Amino acid sequence: MAFEVTQILLNAQSSDGAVRRTAEENLKQFQEQNFPVFLLSLAHELANNEKPPESRKLAGLILKNSLDAKDASRKAELAQAWISLDNALKSQIKGALLMTLSSPVKDASHTAAQVIAKVAAIELPLREWPDLVGSLLSNMGTPQAQKPPGLKQATLETLGYVCEEISPEVLAQEQVNSILTAVVQGMNTSETNNDVRLAATRALYNALDFAQNNFDNEMERDYIMRVVCEATLSPDVKIRQAAFECLVSISSTYYSKLSPYMGDLFTITSKAVREDEEGVALQALEFWSSICDEEIEAQEEYGAEFSEDSEVPYFKFIKQALPALVPLLLETLTKQEENQDQEEGAWNLSMAGGTCLGLVARTVGDDIVPLVMPYVQENIAKPDWKFREAATYAFGSILEGPSLEQLTPLVQVAFNFMLNAMKDQNTHVKDTTAWTLRRIFEFLHGPNVDVPVVNQNNLSVIVEVLSEGIKDVPNVAEKICGAIYFLAQGYEGTSEPSSPLSPYIQGIIQMLLASADREDANESRLRTSAYETLNEVVRCSTEDTAPVIMQLLPAILQKLNSTLDMPVLSSEDREKQNELQASLCGVLQVIIQKLSALEITKFGILQCADQMMALLLRVFSCRNATVHEEAMLSIGALAYATGPEFAKYMQEFYKYLEMGLQNFEEYQVCAVTVGVVGDLCRSLDDKILPYCDGIMTQLLKDLSSSHLHRSVKPPIFSCFGDIALAIGENFEKYLAYAMPMLQTAAEVSAQGGGDDDELIDYYNQLRNGILEAYSGIMQGFKNTKAELMVQYASHILQFIESICDDPHRDDAVTKSAVGVLGDLADTLGSHVAILFRNSSSYQGFLQECQASDDQQLKETADWALAIISRIVSQ
Amino acid sequence: MLNPVDHSPASRRDQFKAAAVGNVAGERRRKQAIIIGKERRDAVVRAKRMRRADDNDEGMMYDEPFSDKIINEETVRAVQELKFLFSSSSKDSSQKKIEALRKLRRLLSCSSNPPVASAVEAGVVPILVKCLEFGSSDEQLVEAAWSLTNIASGDSELTLAILPALPLLIAHLGERSAAPVAEQCAWAVGNVAGEGEQARDLLSSQGALLPLAKLLLLNKPMLVKTAAWALSNIIKGPSSKAAVELFKVDGLSEAIIRHLTKGDEELVVEIAWVVVYITSLAESQTKLLIKSGLLPPLVAWLSSSESLSLLTPVLRSVGNLVAGDNSNTDALLDAAKDLPGGLFGCLVRCLGSEHRTLQKEAAWTVSNIVAGSLQHKQLVFGSRVVPTLLHLLATSTFDVRKEAAFALGNLSVMPAGESQLPQPIMEHLSMLVERGCLPGFINLVKSPDLEASRLGLQFLELVLRGLPNGQGSKLVEKEEGLAALEVLEYHDNDDLRSMANELIDKYYGEDYGLEEEYGPGIAEVVRGGEEYPSWRKGWVVNS
Repeated sequence: MAFEVTQILLNAQSSDGAVRRTAEENLKQFQEQNFPVFLLSLAHELANNEKPPESRKLAGLILKNSLDAKDASRKAELAQAWISLDNALKSQIKGALLMTLSSPVKDASHTAAQVIAKVAAIELPLREWPDLVGSLLSNMGTPQAQKPPGLKQATLETLGYVCEEISPEVLAQEQVNSILTAVVQGMNTSETNNDVRLAATRALYNALDFAQNNFDNEMERDYIMRVVCEATLSPDVKIRQAAFECLVSISSTYYSKLSPYMGDLFTITSKAVREDEEGVALQALEFWSSICDEEIEAQEEYGAEFSEDSEVPYFKFIKQALPALVPLLLETLTKQEENQDQEEGAWNLSMAGGTCLGLVARTVGDDIVPLVMPYVQENIAKPDWKFREAATYAFGSILEGPSLEQLTPLVQVAFNFMLNAMKDQNTHVKDTTAWTLRRIFEFLHGPNVDVPVVNQNNLSVIVEVLSEGIKDVPNVAEKICGAIYFLAQGYEGTSEPSSPLSPYIQGIIQMLLASADREDANESRLRTSAYETLNEVVRCSTEDTAPVIMQLLPAILQKLNSTLDMPVLSSEDREKQNELQASLCGVLQVIIQKLSALEITKFGILQCADQMMALLLRVFSCRNATVHEEAMLSIGALAYATGPEFAKYMQEFYKYLEMGLQNFEEYQVCAVTVGVVGDLCRSLDDKILPYCDGIMTQLLKDLSSSHLHRSVKPPIFSCFGDIALAIGENFEKYLAYAMPMLQTAAEVSAQGGGDDDELIDYYNQLRNGILEAYSGIMQGFKNTKAELMVQYASHILQFIESICDDPHRDDAVTKSAVGVLGDLADTLGSHVAILFRNSSSYQGFLQECQASDDQQLKETADWALAIISRIVSQ
Repeated sequence: MLNPVDHSPASRRDQFKAAAVGNVAGERRRKQAIIIGKERRDAVVRAKRMRRADDNDEGMMYDEPFSDKIINEETVRAVQELKFLFSSSSKDSSQKKIEALRKLRRLLSCSSNPPVASAVEAGVVPILVKCLEFGSSDEQLVEAAWSLTNIASGDSELTLAILPALPLLIAHLGERSAAPVAEQCAWAVGNVAGEGEQARDLLSSQGALLPLAKLLLLNKPMLVKTAAWALSNIIKGPSSKAAVELFKVDGLSEAIIRHLTKGDEELVVEIAWVVVYITSLAESQTKLLIKSGLLPPLVAWLSSSESLSLLTPVLRSVGNLVAGDNSNTDALLDAAKDLPGGLFGCLVRCLGSEHRTLQKEAAWTVSNIVAGSLQHKQLVFGSRVVPTLLHLLATSTFDVRKEAAFALGNLSVMPAGESQLPQPIMEHLSMLVERGCLPGFINLVKSPDLEASRLGLQFLELVLRGLPNGQGSKLVEKEEGLAALEVLEYHDNDDLRSMANELIDKYYGEDYGLEEEYGPGIAEVVRGGEEYPSWRKGWVVNS
């Protein structure tokens, strides 16, 4: 019943556009009209050794894309379509796929391996296709009955892909054991075919997560580790690299099991770093970076004080390896390549080694200083730029991790040298020096540093050096922006009316604007960095420089205006315009925030409000279907500045607001817009009422959509609260729609996230959103429509009780829950007295909160308890 | 893969010379916008909720979301009005003064962010001190003390601002003051005491202690409650001087027992906190309390109360008592003998509580009981405490497990004798091991907490040495204790490392399997040159 599809598939790859389009159209029609036969025909095509490799490969790819998609909801639809197919048909397809594995045509067998994994991803979790693993393993043969290497290779690939697709609990332990046995045998030195060994090694990489039990068992673990280590010595470079990739994965997945092997692993990795080809050496370095990641994370889990339940293993491997590891890493630093700083995506031994050195410094702190400083001193002034750059990089790398006590004297001594090194004739050296300056300002400058490196005496020299450096090639200029960013940040948060940086603000702003305007500013992301640095400079500026910032405003508006006239002929032009508008709207947002917070400049902002709004509306209108995220943020800031006055812009602005709320493909845009609705509610108060029908309709639609990214849902619930607070009793008409949504979400969040930290975190956000909605609604109804909430009271109380009992609730949820308890009693009074009398857990919960160190929480709990006991005792 | 850890060069490359500042900074700025929105929402909601003024207050409720600014301005005006009214030139009636004082007090109580700082800045304290002068009406005194109470509940700077008022506040604590006046002054004093050790010393030196203690003798529940709360804030320690000094007041013990027996729950809570600090700091005063009948009400609450806020101080007091000498434990056992399950029944209730803090303190209490005499160990061993502890050791959070382990550890050894090395109580040890306590201890060995790790090791040592026929080494290995020991061989704590090494050498050396041949000489070897860390004895939880 299958159809002949060879010619269509070949046509679909034709160089003739017309032929290609017709073929694609045909395929699409076929797929829509008879999906089952479409799939079967493709499977037959793929399995048929008589057919040309090109059509077979494409048949496989289309099959694969009919089973899986990136987008989660599309993926679910495809899985459902497959599940509902006739069983006999599915068996036929699966049979054809398994048969293809033995095809001598690599393209076919390789594609079949991927398709099998996609089918497995759908079926195995449903306990279907139980004999898959068995049939795959039988392809591997026995010493007595050898199977062809091509089949073994394709089978190992399949096993690897299957492991990549499914989660470990889907397979029974004995299946895992057989898979691992087959894979490890394939990797063994007794396997003579290198292709098979390579496929096995790559399969192991994917199967490692399944090996929890095997890694718990010392004998099996020893065996696996031995085979992997042997594979790192294979004559085939691809196998060596794949084996090191396994080691990297093991280092994070099985960190706690590594103790007995660390000695050998050091020997193997250091030999690879020193002697092997770059691809292999990079993985060997990655092994150590990955160990650092684990140990940094373990230290963070401990925190400063020992926390309960901390069972995080931490063996200080890095500390033990330090005396040998640091020299190894330092050796790599002089292996730089010309132009590595300009090339996006460049990655070589010196970069990997330097990155690892930085991680090592963060892992061990002070201990690294004496091991690195002699190297720095010896090489920093050498004639060969490679040594100067390496020494500078080593110095910059250890600025994060060691204590200020250790670092301050070193940096005090080196600082002037670094400033001078910005005059080096080599660009690499300047790049790294600029980066080191940035790190110095990031870690050794600011209100928390006792002996600041930057002071009144050297500030003018610093600014001078930075203003020269920023004129250098884009990659150096970008690093200088970073240095300015942290230099400004160090003066943040002073309540003084003036900052030491004030005299230089004008000059710094000028140099940043000039960098952003450079012809070559799109290289090394210089333009974006220059604007973001400008934002930080504005944000951290003090009252005395407000006039300077005020002057900046028309300049930015002028620039934004000129983006509207940029020629947009290609998608590239469009992107450029878009990016520039994003940066400028960002600056606008920060300026509005800054100046509207100061009495002396607020008036100036209000005077420009019409002009800014007109411009922002034009920015919105230069796109068709989407709205501009950054422009939206500027609107939020502007609304706060103008307050209720913003109402006059609403009519024109509303359509873009709606457009933003509709944009669930770009969910960040949707999220930002939801936030702006909240801003508007607080600024406009009940003047937002005329727009609420539209906004609420859109928000409810968003919530019902399975396509909207889940992270946007909690803010939408909070936004219900914002709206209710703003429009008070008028929220009544939305209540019947909003409450069921809130109740359903409350039930979902009460399921608990198990051990999944991400899910726990999400449920906390969801609860917080729901609670904020309840607070807003109750307070909105309090004086006139309180009785509307009576019917929901017991649900709300139950929801809060489930929160009280949850050990995973976070501080924000606790705070909101306490507030809602008080709001319930405050709003509903005697209606809820009986509910509170019968509730057991709220009292202990509130008492616990009263004992909190958080003053605001304590006060809210006092308030809530007082109100509740008043109504309970009545 | 389930937990994909990205090891691709691209993700690592982002760390190379840290990616362009623009990328990170933009993200940070967008997050900031969300935070600003959230802060403003909180401020609106807080403003709507703010109403802490008492119910009887007519009119003037700040229903509307007053912005902080308006309230602050209002406050400054109120202070200025008071200044004028209390200046010598003013001839206004006392009623007018009281109204002005009340207005100020309401302002200082009205929001969750009361304008205390503005009031202090405007010079409110000297006026309030003036209002406290002797001969003022009770109403005026209450209002002034109330405002001072609110000021003292703020940040420490503000609390310290009311120091000039302390002598008069303390003076009004005396028995000739009306109850509402004394209560309000006690409240203010309690807030100051909450500020820290220095503030407490200051209050003691100005003589706050005895008048507060004398208030406890009265039969006015509200007043006694506030006085007890203030008192417990002052005697917190670390010095025991205040707790001892208290007993200069005749009849104090009896009053404490009386309130503890007959008071309402809230009163009992405050009195029980006073008892907590006395029992943790003052030994002979504790004896005095016991003699006056402290124990029966204490254990009665322990056996019957459901309230966390009450059980916490009661259990802590019992814990302090058993950390003292063994006769306290005997007396407690006797006092609780008619309660369901006796003293251990009460403790099992707390061990089984849903509140972690209670579980932990109850386990701590048990560990101190079983650090005592052999008889106490045997009594506990025969009770339901043991299964509960085993359950906690296997399932609870780390801090509770550690306490449970101390208790089980102490339960397994003879009271400390001449020998440095604790001798096992064979019956207890083998029973506990049989009931599956080993994995719990081995888990502790693996813990990064040094104390817990050492405790686990000591217990393993006991099992290895104590169980006959080399059973210990097999059991420990079977439960993966050997693996845990091997990990410690690389530990950077010298103590732990050498303990682990010695255990492995001794019990899993070349002759592993032949260890029957070894005699008791092991003890000498294990001890080596260093002093063997002793089992921890009763320690005092002091917050």
